Amino acid sequence: MSRVKDVWVFTEKQESIAELCAGARQLGERVTVLAVGSRDRIERIIAFGADRVFYLGDTGADRTVEDYAFTLSKLIEEEAPDLFLFGATKRCRHMAGRLAARQRTSVLSDIMEFLTDKDEIQGTQMVYGGAAVRTLASKSATVFSVVGSGVFTSLPEDADREGDVRAVDFVEPAYRVRCMEKRERGGTSVDLTAAKRVIAVGRGIAKEEDLKMIEELARLIGAEIGCTRPISEGVNWMGRERYIGVSGVMFKPELYIAIGISGQIQHMVGCNQSGVIFAINTDTAAKIFSQSDYGIVGDLYTVVPVLLEKIRAAR
Amino acid sequence: MKIAVCYKLVPDEQDIVINGDHTISFDKAEWKIGQYDLVAVEAAMRLAEVAGGTVSALSAGGKQLENSKLKKNILSRGPVDAYMIIDETMSDADSYQTAYVLAKAIEKIKDVDLVVCGEGSSDMYAQQVGSQIGELLQWPSVNAIGTITLADGKLIAERMLETEVEVLEIPIPAVISVTSDIFQARIANLKDILEAGKKPVVRWDLDDIGGVPEMSTNVLSVLAPPQADRRRVIIGGDSGDQINEFYEHLRKEL
Ligand SMILES: Cc1cc2nc3c(=O)[nH]c(=O)nc-3n(C[C@H](O)[C@H](O)[C@H](O)COP(=O)(O)OP(=O)(O)OC[C@H]3O[C@@H](n4cnc5c(N)ncnc54)[C@H](O)[C@@H]3O)c2cc1C
Ligand SMILES: Nc1ncnc2c1ncn2[C@@H]1O[C@H](COP(=O)(O)O)[C@@H](O)[C@H]1O
Repeated sequence: MSRVKDVWVFTEKQESIAELCAGARQLGERVTVLAVGSRDRIERIIAFGADRVFYLGDTGADRTVEDYAFTLSKLIEEEAPDLFLFGATKRCRHMAGRLAARQRTSVLSDIMEFLTDKDEIQGTQMVYGGAAVRTLASKSATVFSVVGSGVFTSLPEDADREGDVRAVDFVEPAYRVRCMEKRERGGTSVDLTAAKRVIAVGRGIAKEEDLKMIEELARLIGAEIGCTRPISEGVNWMGRERYIGVSGVMFKPELYIAIGISGQIQHMVGCNQSGVIFAINTDTAAKIFSQSDYGIVGDLYTVVPVLLEKIRAAR
Repeated sequence: MKIAVCYKLVPDEQDIVINGDHTISFDKAEWKIGQYDLVAVEAAMRLAEVAGGTVSALSAGGKQLENSKLKKNILSRGPVDAYMIIDETMSDADSYQTAYVLAKAIEKIKDVDLVVCGEGSSDMYAQQVGSQIGELLQWPSVNAIGTITLADGKLIAERMLETEVEVLEIPIPAVISVTSDIFQARIANLKDILEAGKKPVVRWDLDDIGGVPEMSTNVLSVLAPPQADRRRVIIGGDSGDQINEFYEHLRKEL
């Protein structure tokens, strides 16, 4: 695989800096991280694999990360990197889109795998809700990409690494949005990808309190609980880190039990690599059945209590 | 306030046919309005209802836009009129081309104060077009908007990031992309649908808005991923015996 020369990295979270630096080193010869925030972070960024850090400064009461778009845009014009990688967060997506538009190009979004072929950078992404995988290449001088999470594995931190640091002057934005207040967003952090067994629920569950019975089942068989997107984003019964699918968690547990889930493609691409899939659904025609190993056409409110009884009795 | 809301027509992914060589075909697919764009229309309508103003629907795409059912569908959700840029190149356009054409259309519509986009299109889900339109118009733009109100001629909005919420003050004109759960899309009634048929639709082709730039990407392939083979043992009911049969299969995996 041939490599490109200059790869830039912009992301918010410490963990994703390490991952993206590892990826950038794989794809390119020189890795530059564009860093906003406390200056103390710079040494660690170099230890994660950066050759250069462009230090943009710190945000504060009168400056947001978004305000650096103009500074970044000017740097891109001056230095024309070959590839610019962004983390898969909302803020990074927005920044990537804005910067790419200023260079009259599109962003290769949510790339799952990069290939470099004759100095051309290619990437694969899921489209049509996961029904297809598309491979595409960018024609622009600087290739912009939002990298799917977990695509690259961080290298061990190396405190002896050396790198250049350059402080970059702030470019006053021509237009901006003012941030008046910031609040933490509550939520637990669970890593579903680490679970061997997962029970997932969908809109077949009628009330939030009915989740208790599912939690009990999960406890008995040592499973984690996940859900479809409407359970998390529509009714907010579960955290966003628990929904499975093309825009959520993608994983392959050994056992997957889908309860009251119709089996739309956007959901199924997240779990269809599971070892064995069980499904409970009242609708004979539900798409989930053709994608399961074992299914029961039944009411979850009838089936789950009986399963609970049987599992308890067997212990 | 004059609001333009952007929606995209997409093939229903449930109707995609996978060919023997893993390529995919849309020949049999029904077209529909992107799921999250319906939410964006609702957000635009709610804001217009509270803050005063009108909503226009805006879309770029291929000949499916001409479908009268789909035209009525979008207009039955409240917009006073619709603008459509119709050209076959727009059905495979990339984010930059789409944003470029939509930005030109917004300039041509005139006096737009706010552009509302969905969280992502249902087919590409790149979550890019809104951010790019903002930059092309040189207007402030922001994504992940979960609440909006208007105060003193400025938008006050909450932005839902992964671990924090930002309260923003957005000067207009601006472009916002809303979250998928900012509102539930309304269901139109028969009267709305009948009235929708009388609302004006402005149709432009690419020449009317000054053309489209070349694609900035090369699509090398679009292939269905390999499917795992499943046993598909389906038990047809939930009598005691049938649940027991299901349990026996499950027990073996525990
Ligand atoms: C761009 C995009 C990205 C998306 N990303 C994701 C994603 O990552 N993950 C995701 O999950 N979705 C995603 N979606 C949404 C997806 O298209 C579906 O809307 C969603 O997965 C459906 O969730 P569901 O199965 O819970 O609900 P429904 O489709 O409403 O299905 C509910 C099922 O429950 C069954 N049921 C009802 N009552 C009972 C009962 N008493 N007992 C047993 N069964 C019962 C019904 O028969 C039905 O099959 C995305 C959509 C778009 C447009
Ligand atoms: N062809 C189009 N016509 C009108 N609006 C569009 C089009 N494509 C995308 N959009 C809007 O931009 C949003 C983001 O799209 P995308 O970047 O493709 O995920 C969508 O939710 C729509 O609101």
